[in-house]
Amino acid sequence: MLSTRDLVVGYDERTVLDGLDLELPADAFTVVVGPNACGKSTLLRTMARLLTPSRGAVLLDGTAIRDLPTREVAQRLGVLPQSPLVPEGVTVADLVGRGRQPYQRWWRQWSERDSAAVDEAMELADVAGLADRPVDTLSGGQRQRVWIAMTLAQDTEALLLDEPTTFLDLAHQVEVLDLLHRLRAERGRTVVAVLHDLNQAARYADHLIAMRSGRVVAAGPPREILTVELVRDVFGLDCVVVPCPVTGAPLVVPALTSPSLAASSVTSSLAAPARAASSITSSAGPPANGTL
Amino acid sequence: MSALATGTRARSAPPGRTLLRLGPLRVPVRRRPVLVAAALTGLLVAAGVLSLSLGTPYVAPTDVLRALSGAGTPYDLVVLDLRLPRLVLAAVAGAAFGIAGTLIQSVARNPLASPDVIGITQGAGLAATIALTGGAAAVLVAPAALLGGLAAAALVLALGARHGLAAQRFVLAGVAVAFALRALIEVVLMTADPIDGMRAQIWLVGTLAGKGWTEAAWIAVTLLALLPVLLWAGWALNSTALDDDTARGIGVRPVARRIGLAGTGVLAAAMVTAQVGAVDFVSLVAPQLARRLVRAERPPLLCSALLGALLLVLADLAGRRLLAPTQLPAGVLTAAIGGPYLIFLLLRGRRRPS
Repeated sequence: MLSTRDLVVGYDERTVLDGLDLELPADAFTVVVGPNACGKSTLLRTMARLLTPSRGAVLLDGTAIRDLPTREVAQRLGVLPQSPLVPEGVTVADLVGRGRQPYQRWWRQWSERDSAAVDEAMELADVAGLADRPVDTLSGGQRQRVWIAMTLAQDTEALLLDEPTTFLDLAHQVEVLDLLHRLRAERGRTVVAVLHDLNQAARYADHLIAMRSGRVVAAGPPREILTVELVRDVFGLDCVVVPCPVTGAPLVVPALTSPSLAASSVTSSLAAPARAASSITSSAGPPANGTL
Repeated sequence: MSALATGTRARSAPPGRTLLRLGPLRVPVRRRPVLVAAALTGLLVAAGVLSLSLGTPYVAPTDVLRALSGAGTPYDLVVLDLRLPRLVLAAVAGAAFGIAGTLIQSVARNPLASPDVIGITQGAGLAATIALTGGAAAVLVAPAALLGGLAAAALVLALGARHGLAAQRFVLAGVAVAFALRALIEVVLMTADPIDGMRAQIWLVGTLAGKGWTEAAWIAVTLLALLPVLLWAGWALNSTALDDDTARGIGVRPVARRIGLAGTGVLAAAMVTAQVGAVDFVSLVAPQLARRLVRAERPPLLCSALLGALLLVLADLAGRRLLAPTQLPAGVLTAAIGGPYLIFLLLRGRRRPS
């Protein structure tokens, strides 16, 4: 449904994305990863029409997004920016209701459909119990779920999220990612997110896009593309890749960078799994890095 | 997702609100702003009767009401011809200041952005000063001031629009233009004939003395002409508290919306300033007070208008009576009362839960 064609985006003199052709699978959870300043947020923001490309286009079901009225885009594509500003004193139900804006006019500011969509969005994101609370009194994790509920109330086929887990503690990160996973699995939404954590990306993504310097290095299911080589290519980091003991998804563990990290008594307990890991990886495909 | 999926109960209004239905109109309203608006209207009527009643001669409120009903009383001249025009002007001008302040503060996302902070008042003031000291006919002062205010606002909007009328840039451009224009006003005043200079000074402070139906009519016609835009604005203001990315995400064009809202505020501010001078402290205080009264995240349009009207009616009344027979200009009173109250609000601060 969402694709890009020869996409070029830059700020002033600097070109961030240079001729990107990309196809995002529908009904999948796509995660974009890459080092800082690789252009992943720029890609997401351009797809969300928050940035205007200097060349090429973002296509929504084959139509260039810039040729569509912004209200119509907002009925098909929800966007959660990186750190949205919480209006002072606004309540949860109020903020979630803002997601209905693309369906409203000044003379018809509310409908029963709006009520139903807001109720369902709050239910889905598990914030219905907070409906009357001011958003600025909530914790970071609750707040992020409220923002997601707002984009859910928009009732769109696709949802774009720019680093939705940044600034959250681990438990809240998992909570937010579980919610996104449920949206895809139970509601058939197309979800696209930029994430920092490679292991979370591997755990949740159906489709992984790895970027470096404005280009896509690899794209596909994490179990197929997430290798030691890819991590070295994209992040310049030596690592081992082992199957996650919980999900079986690839788990990236940085290689030993300093001998003192594996000092004294810890050495034995750490070294054993590391050896086991390297043997697993070698048997699974590419050999583990030589530093281990 | 089907928005009408099972398990959700159908409500007709968002939580905590009642849906106002009027023909094709569907507007969810909270209870509190309605109560506040009703209370302010009541206070405005009471202040109006008081204003018509107090003075020399004193007219009993019952006689004021009889005169207003057209019963024909000995007080008709005082009440209907002398006091009523000035009262109506105060109410209409105060409402216009309240509306202008709400729009400009919301776009600037800054409670201190008001017509005199962003240069409109100084533009109007400079043009009026030039007209008054340059021997222009009296009827030309207000039109000149209107053009001056609009020109200054156009300059500020043009400077601010280069980066999408971002809040901070808009305010900075306004402050810079305001300072430059204020300096020019001083230059004109110093080189002017002293008597003309005095007249200009009085204009600059802002007063309702000697003004009435004509000025009120100009402001009222402007507000009526803006009414359809104001109905839209009451809704469009809801997105001004969101950041631009979030607003774009829900299908709003934030820059176009800001220009529309700021332009509307500028028109109202320039017109009212041209008619009554710089009484615009009302436009700074009324929206912030109204916002706290209705407990909303941005100033409410209708309640700010009502509160602006009430404040200016009271300020004009106090200016007439406090040091009677000396008449203080309403502009002095609004600044003297509004200033400390705003300081009080700022000091009390906002409750910031961790």
